[in-house]
Amino acid sequence: MSDFRSVRVIPAALLVTALLGYPFLDRWLQAQTVHAVTDAMIYVLLALGLNIVVGYAGMLDLGYAAFFAIGAYTMGLLNSPVLGSPLYGHVWSFWVVIWIAAAVSAALGVVIGAPTLRVRGDYLAIITLAFGEIIPVAIRNMGDITIDIAGWKPVERLNLTGGENGVNPVGRPHLPFVNFDTDFIPWYFLILVIGAFSLWAMNRMRDSRLGRAWMAIREDETAADCTGVNPVKTKLLAFALGASFSGFAGSFYAAKLQAITPGAFEFNVSIMLLCMVVLGGMGSLKGVILGGMLITLFDRILLSQMTFFIRWVGRSLGIAALASVDLTLWRWFFFGLGLVVIMLIRPEGLMGRRARPPAADVDEGEERLALVAAPPRPRAEALPAWLREAASPGRRPPSGPPVLEVRGLTRSFGGLIAVSDVELVIPAGGIIGLIGPNGAGKTTFFNLVTGLLRPDRGEILLDGASVVGLRPHAIVGRGIARTFQSIRLFQNMSVLDNVLVGEHCRLHASVAGAVFRPPAVMVEEVRARGRATDLLAFVGLDAKAAEMAKNLAYGDQRRLEIARALATEPRLLLLDEPTAGMNPRETDTLTELIGLLRRELGLSVLLIEHHMEVVMGISDRITVLDYGTRIAEGTPVEIRQNAQVIEAYLGKGYEQELVAT
Amino acid sequence: MSAELLALQDVHAYYGNIRALKGVSLTVGRGEIVTLIGGNGAGKTTTLRTVIGLVRALRGTVTFDGRRIDRVPTHRIARLGIAQSPEGRRIFAPMTVLENLELGAFARTDREAIPQDLERVLALFPRLRDRLAQKGGTLSGGEQQMLAMGRALMAKPDMLLLDEPSMGLSPILVETIFDIIRNINQLGTTILLVEQNARMALRVAHRGYVIQTGRIVLQDAAAALLRSDVVRKAYLGEK
Repeated sequence: MSDFRSVRVIPAALLVTALLGYPFLDRWLQAQTVHAVTDAMIYVLLALGLNIVVGYAGMLDLGYAAFFAIGAYTMGLLNSPVLGSPLYGHVWSFWVVIWIAAAVSAALGVVIGAPTLRVRGDYLAIITLAFGEIIPVAIRNMGDITIDIAGWKPVERLNLTGGENGVNPVGRPHLPFVNFDTDFIPWYFLILVIGAFSLWAMNRMRDSRLGRAWMAIREDETAADCTGVNPVKTKLLAFALGASFSGFAGSFYAAKLQAITPGAFEFNVSIMLLCMVVLGGMGSLKGVILGGMLITLFDRILLSQMTFFIRWVGRSLGIAALASVDLTLWRWFFFGLGLVVIMLIRPEGLMGRRARPPAADVDEGEERLALVAAPPRPRAEALPAWLREAASPGRRPPSGPPVLEVRGLTRSFGGLIAVSDVELVIPAGGIIGLIGPNGAGKTTFFNLVTGLLRPDRGEILLDGASVVGLRPHAIVGRGIARTFQSIRLFQNMSVLDNVLVGEHCRLHASVAGAVFRPPAVMVEEVRARGRATDLLAFVGLDAKAAEMAKNLAYGDQRRLEIARALATEPRLLLLDEPTAGMNPRETDTLTELIGLLRRELGLSVLLIEHHMEVVMGISDRITVLDYGTRIAEGTPVEIRQNAQVIEAYLGKGYEQELVAT
Repeated sequence: MSAELLALQDVHAYYGNIRALKGVSLTVGRGEIVTLIGGNGAGKTTTLRTVIGLVRALRGTVTFDGRRIDRVPTHRIARLGIAQSPEGRRIFAPMTVLENLELGAFARTDREAIPQDLERVLALFPRLRDRLAQKGGTLSGGEQQMLAMGRALMAKPDMLLLDEPSMGLSPILVETIFDIIRNINQLGTTILLVEQNARMALRVAHRGYVIQTGRIVLQDAAAALLRSDVVRKAYLGEK
């Protein structure tokens, strides 16, 4: 797969040599930095896990250290010979516990994730913050538990966590011929292996069906839902997988330090981890590694070395103030200052996505603008073969049962009835226009059909089966796709990835599939990319597949949104003002495209549109809404002559009168 | 007081990484309606954004009322008497329709005239009167469009920049909106109008410019542009 990063061999070989040779060089130089570097790598691993939640899925997590604590305490409780807990005396092997710790952290990730699913932004941050506070407090208080029910004490002075004193000692890993007791080098290699494995897994997850779903949620959760991505499942997976890496980091930390106390997992650790992610660049693996390394090494090595240096200067010059300085007390000052400076100079982080892609030069820009001026005419030959195949079973004679039947649909907001008792039938292969004055309830009607809103009353039948109460992504799965009035693309994803998110609900790769890439997943992914490329060629965007969606011109964005909707393999397409903001030529092209989709694929279309030449030109029948009720239904000719419609909407012959008001 | 209220002289500007304006020169005389037409991505919106200071000109000058404004911050430009609408329908979603409209008049010093202007705006958009107490974010797309325009009018600007005011409006309202544009122009507001609906724009405007890939390729009286073959083929959809 061309997009999967090809490793440049020579720099990679140099990097591996450096990583492998470093501890021996350090020993030879007697620099004694391996200990600090190993600790730094623990924090890097934590930051990488946090990056899944914050960088990929876009959920601000202020309590990530809680998962670190859970990983560490899992190791502490299962692998300590002295603790007075019920687990006393049963010391489990490090090599087993590290996996258990990851699993426990992931499970708790789901637990903390569950209540946060309905909230975003500030609220989510506050909930995670609270969780981050609860865990250390719980650990402190679970060192001495007594349950006293009227003198009966089923539990007396039970020590589960070691309380304030923590767990000490924690067992070390054992391997034949490897000395984990007095030498830091085996620890270094162990975290290197864990880190490399984690990085490999994260890299593969990012470039998978799952990674695209995370980013789609980050960019626009509603649009992702309406493109077939299950937000609940996707967000929970982000929490669980993000937490599992901290399980590895936490258990490694506990075993290396051989002692843990609740104080090591306080709020400031969460913040430091977040700083690493933000400093390096949210969503960039390289950036997060760099950010984590910089912050920990600055803290562990540079600050203490500088303190020694300044004290030495102070003593030599006889300045008492300098001789007793301790810069490590100023670490938060330096973190804060550094972060402020970086955010001012490079708000996207050290290695984050640049706000402007650097590649495009002026000539390319000119070419792009020229293309915009002349959108390609849609051609039936260019229609992807797979889309024809996908559509063929759904293709029925127009006399067959309707695709969509809406009966008595009603929805109000407070006292305001937005949609009232609306009926609408879309026959197979039909194009139905939905028009009406601004604020008549057209978009609300779309939101009801696509599951973004629940009707107060009424039936919505897709191919005879009710879709009322289904979540939007499930309705996409049943075969209804939509576009939005104000374009809602995944702005910071490539044009190709936008279409691939559309295919999400037709793909099957799981988390394990994304990481291990068995042949079935590889075949599926290659086919998905082929399909997406075909679709882009069909709408004339194949040359811009690698471009960020936000960099497309307006008309191109409209066409990309339609391509994304088509990628879900719909039987019914809901278009909300697709030609708004388009000039007459672009409008013509899009009208042709809609007609072509119906003709070639038998696709049914429901169209909200204010350009009358479009609606009147391609609709079989038109429904007119005003103040939430259906005021007319009929063929374009009937609608054009309907006095009520003219008065409320078309305005022909009434303009002069309106000017007067 | 010069006859030219707004003048762009050889303006070059980037939009993202695209060189969107490559030497745009245009003038808008006091009391005029001037329209700028062109395809998507031709540089129309970038031109408006350059005037209001949201995009900075790399080269060239922007003068308003005889004063250079190409290095003046956006909020100060707004206080000089330039208002833009609808700015991609950027209304204040958590505030009510009334509050949105009142905010339009935020920088005005003639507070006593504000209620009267509010009444005028509500007369122009009766739909907004029905929705005064509703939150801006709950309005439909077309209603937000009206609100954005109403808010711009509340600033009582000397110059109004209109970015596709007819977008997303019902046919009856499209007619109305162009009548409103003519109406406020007659009341003394100078207008620079960007529109996809070139036919309507050229009917209401005095003069027009055609912009293509960041360059002005044609300029003439609006009536003459309406008759021009190039414009009819490229922008009016005639074959």
